[in-house]
Amino acid sequence: MVKPKIGIFGLTGCAGEQIMILNCEDQLIDILGAIDIRYFPTAMTKNDEECELDIAFVEGAVVQPKDEELLKKIRQRSKLLIAIGTCAVWGGLPAMRNDVPREEFLEKVYGTKGKSFKSIPAQPLKNFVKVDLSISGCPIEKEQFLKAVASLLHGDLPLLPSYAVCTECKMNEYVCMLVGENKLCLGPITIAGCGARCPGYNIPCHGCRGPVDEANVASEVKILKEKGFTLRDIENRLRSFAAQAEILQEQFKKE
Amino acid sequence: MHNSVVIDHLCRVEGHGGITVNIKDGRVEQVNVDIFEGSRFFEPLIIGRHYDEIPPILSRICAICSAVHTITSLMAIEDAFGVKITPQTTLLRDLLIQGGNIESHALHLFCLAVPDYLGYTGAISLAADQPELVKMGLDLKKLGNTIQEAIGGRAVHPVNAVIGGFGRLPDKEMLFDLKEQLKKGLQQASATIDLMATLKIPNFPESPTVYAALESIDVKFNFFGDRIILSTGDSIDISKYKEVCNEKVVLHSHAKHSQFKNKPFMVGSLARIMLNGHRLTGEAKKAMKKLGLNSSSQNVLYNNLAQAVELVYAIERSLEIIEQLLKHGIKDERPTEVKVKAGKGTAACEAPRGMLFHSYAFDNKGNLTNADVITPTAQNLANMEKDLRVSVERLINESKESLSDKLEMVARAYDPCISCSVHLVELNSK
Repeated sequence: MVKPKIGIFGLTGCAGEQIMILNCEDQLIDILGAIDIRYFPTAMTKNDEECELDIAFVEGAVVQPKDEELLKKIRQRSKLLIAIGTCAVWGGLPAMRNDVPREEFLEKVYGTKGKSFKSIPAQPLKNFVKVDLSISGCPIEKEQFLKAVASLLHGDLPLLPSYAVCTECKMNEYVCMLVGENKLCLGPITIAGCGARCPGYNIPCHGCRGPVDEANVASEVKILKEKGFTLRDIENRLRSFAAQAEILQEQFKKE
Repeated sequence: MHNSVVIDHLCRVEGHGGITVNIKDGRVEQVNVDIFEGSRFFEPLIIGRHYDEIPPILSRICAICSAVHTITSLMAIEDAFGVKITPQTTLLRDLLIQGGNIESHALHLFCLAVPDYLGYTGAISLAADQPELVKMGLDLKKLGNTIQEAIGGRAVHPVNAVIGGFGRLPDKEMLFDLKEQLKKGLQQASATIDLMATLKIPNFPESPTVYAALESIDVKFNFFGDRIILSTGDSIDISKYKEVCNEKVVLHSHAKHSQFKNKPFMVGSLARIMLNGHRLTGEAKKAMKKLGLNSSSQNVLYNNLAQAVELVYAIERSLEIIEQLLKHGIKDERPTEVKVKAGKGTAACEAPRGMLFHSYAFDNKGNLTNADVITPTAQNLANMEKDLRVSVERLINESKESLSDKLEMVARAYDPCISCSVHLVELNSK
């Protein structure tokens, strides 16, 4: 069997997804045996900048023209493009205040010299290119990544959960952070896949994986308001990881 | 003779950076470390946010250093509000940070740096020839992650460390289990020292260097401290960290540069061993001697040796912490309550790559009004340019390819974390 050619790319981000891939310590050597890594500059030198790839994994958000240029080049040379991590899938933390002009940020951070730096509002990959599969998470969950790789090696796209973190939390029989502990928990509207990690540590869900399809955001906001949270606190949390998601943007417009 | 050497994309480092060298008439005119990682504007994004949202957001500055970013952020908030933490919390935070050190140093040594010394393009090609060696590195890396998962709740961006304590405390069985794994890890770390002792470390980047680190808070080697010490003999309280990391904007870099009294300085493993190494005990002390780090060194490539010594230290320290926790028994403590007030707070920790500072101001409702984060890689950039310049001057007659490889080796020795360096600090509301 010909080994699939793989590229692992990082746009702007914390490298969390690439680190999670390297964190598959027990499986890494076997995976390396089954694939042909052509591009992974975080882990190796002498990368192939041109060859056609069977699968490109791309992490990070697009925050500057350079990112957009690289992303379009990756799309051209790849049969499958997979967005990994919340930045690539939703825009992530850097996209939380796209309503503020970048020039303002550049000046605040770099002073007058900031004018020479190029910056655009942070956006997910799908705003620029066709994305074949999205694996969200900040960071991605190792198990989900490994399952995806196993499916891809068999020529299939993996089946990812389509329900909320809340469901996983109930299955684990954790104490409900929202109803039981009155915490600002986004479990009911956040896409599952983490096994309700945070509630397992008595920490409410911050929504780091982004919203689940058809999330009932209005109802979540209503419950939180009834519990005494201010609209400002609620909106801040909703904005943290996936502010650009349409389902959340609709909510912000209502307010 | 070359006119210029341009390394577009530094590989085997975290993030996006390059090196540009301009040479005129056989003389080095300019050496720049170009940082073109995009700006994420963390500080302006978080202004106005409630204090408890700050640590999970700022942990995302960097995946590899996420544990120490979280802890330093928590400490700065606790400093601002006068929150006291228990000795048990202090020990657990230290353990979490050691998990981060083990993971980070093992990753850098085995996957990024050592392949250079053995003539490979990375751990992937090294694994094809020497799978046992790479497997040992991955085992050590996994040990660090196991600690971070057990104590922090996740290997990257920990969720369990919160203001005043921890969300959920580890149980006895978990600690016993960690202890067994750490014992095995200590043997592998000793084998790492033996391996490092066989490497021939070239001396082309050697040049006078100012080192800076936190003065260990304990009589023993430690990653916490209230004072910054420098090899110049200066000693400065961490609240005045800006006197040391005077940051300035340079046009070729999205990261600012630090200089102390107009001179670059180095932070990280080598700086810590040079300034605090005499406080090491046990196997780490022996390892330091074996690798020749007990006398002063001015060669940044020795940073890789210092990382190996700290790998031994981090495992021994983790074992020591677990012994103490088991001896006293895990007390069922809830996180200390926070009484919000207007104020400022600053904290520092030694991250794997060197001193890390978080400094915040809050209004009387606990909303953030000012934030400043200075990361070790940002502090090291000016010194890295100094070492690259010296290297180019000495290697100017070598082929372009060989020169480029060696310059990358110098940059890599710092274990730069470029995402971290482009955190984009400094928001001084006037």
